[in-house]
Amino acid sequence: MENSQSLWQLAFTYFLVINPLGNSPLILSLLKDYDFQRQKKIVLREGFFAFIIALVFQFFGEHFLSVLGIEAPALSLCGGIILFLLALMMIFPHKDEGEKKQLKQEPFIVPIAIPLLVGPGSLSVIMLTAANEESTFKVSAAITIACAAMIAIVSSAPYIQKVIGKVGMTVVEQIMGMMVTLMAVEMILKGIAGFINGL
Amino acid sequence: MSLKIILTLFLIMDSIGNLSSYLQMVKDLDPKRRRYVIIREMLFALVAMLIFNFIGEFIFSALNITEPTVRVTSGVILFLIALKILFPSPTSLRANLPKQQPFITPLAIPLVAGPSLLATIMLYAHTEPSLLVMFSSILIAWAASVLVFLNASSIQRFLTDNGLIACERLTGMILILLAIQRVLEGIKQFVATY
Repeated sequence: MENSQSLWQLAFTYFLVINPLGNSPLILSLLKDYDFQRQKKIVLREGFFAFIIALVFQFFGEHFLSVLGIEAPALSLCGGIILFLLALMMIFPHKDEGEKKQLKQEPFIVPIAIPLLVGPGSLSVIMLTAANEESTFKVSAAITIACAAMIAIVSSAPYIQKVIGKVGMTVVEQIMGMMVTLMAVEMILKGIAGFINGL
Repeated sequence: MSLKIILTLFLIMDSIGNLSSYLQMVKDLDPKRRRYVIIREMLFALVAMLIFNFIGEFIFSALNITEPTVRVTSGVILFLIALKILFPSPTSLRANLPKQQPFITPLAIPLVAGPSLLATIMLYAHTEPSLLVMFSSILIAWAASVLVFLNASSIQRFLTDNGLIACERLTGMILILLAIQRVLEGIKQFVATY
């Protein structure tokens, strides 16, 4: 494929969409009632779940698509639209988001693994690149690299917050939001281009 | 082709995503009564689906609409519904279910056989020439949903509440894909016939 990306480009793309830095404040606010050790344990577990879900989607996502007759432009547009909505939420956060998402029981898969870490956005990016790339191994490797970085960052979130403080976290999230918006618009444009070419 | 219809219909019925709403509605009933309620509601849904399967063509000619219209319309409705599944808001229908037992609403219509499903059936009934294929596809997808609802409590125990939410989100994601694909096909068809 012409638009084939290098392993590191792929891994960086996944890393951006999984958005561990931007998600860390949200995850922290979800886990603020647990003690430090428990927080680390939960975060590690959720990161691992996210990794598994991403891998499952890499392999079975495409199969699903062909059965349902979904073509690449639709996938691209879908990823773009969902990412755009998520980016809007990052740039213009709701003040009570942390409280609203808080469950009474300990978070398990939802809401940290899905939809915060691998949300619809990252899943469609993974499905999109898995459909574009010829080498399955490269995509899996990129997912593994991105998820390893994600788990490392997310599990050290309590320390990060201590270092850069609440203001720093907000700034990081805003910048991540801007970058995700760029990616979203790029995907939407690619989808439109693919659609027009297929007309 | 038929597998596509079955899978699409089953996904749009979103029985796994609707499980938590359903269990909440029937949580005061004993198992026997639950089974009766779910079969009754699903029969209502089936009747609605079959009616739309047969009068679809009539609606096409009565409203003087064309196939691209139905594609775009059902795609847009499906898109908005899937968006509500992915980003639930406290004002949506799903979050404000009436607490009494379901009777036709809200379980049969619109949770299972909602506008998106009926429009989809109308569309497929128009494009699929064989009545038998259409009929059997509806029945299979419907039967699968009935099985999911009948085993609701065991599925919930197996997946846990969080697992149900995860399934719901994944379904929502696939529905959005279906919706966008359908809108694109509609536009393509419109451009081709314009």
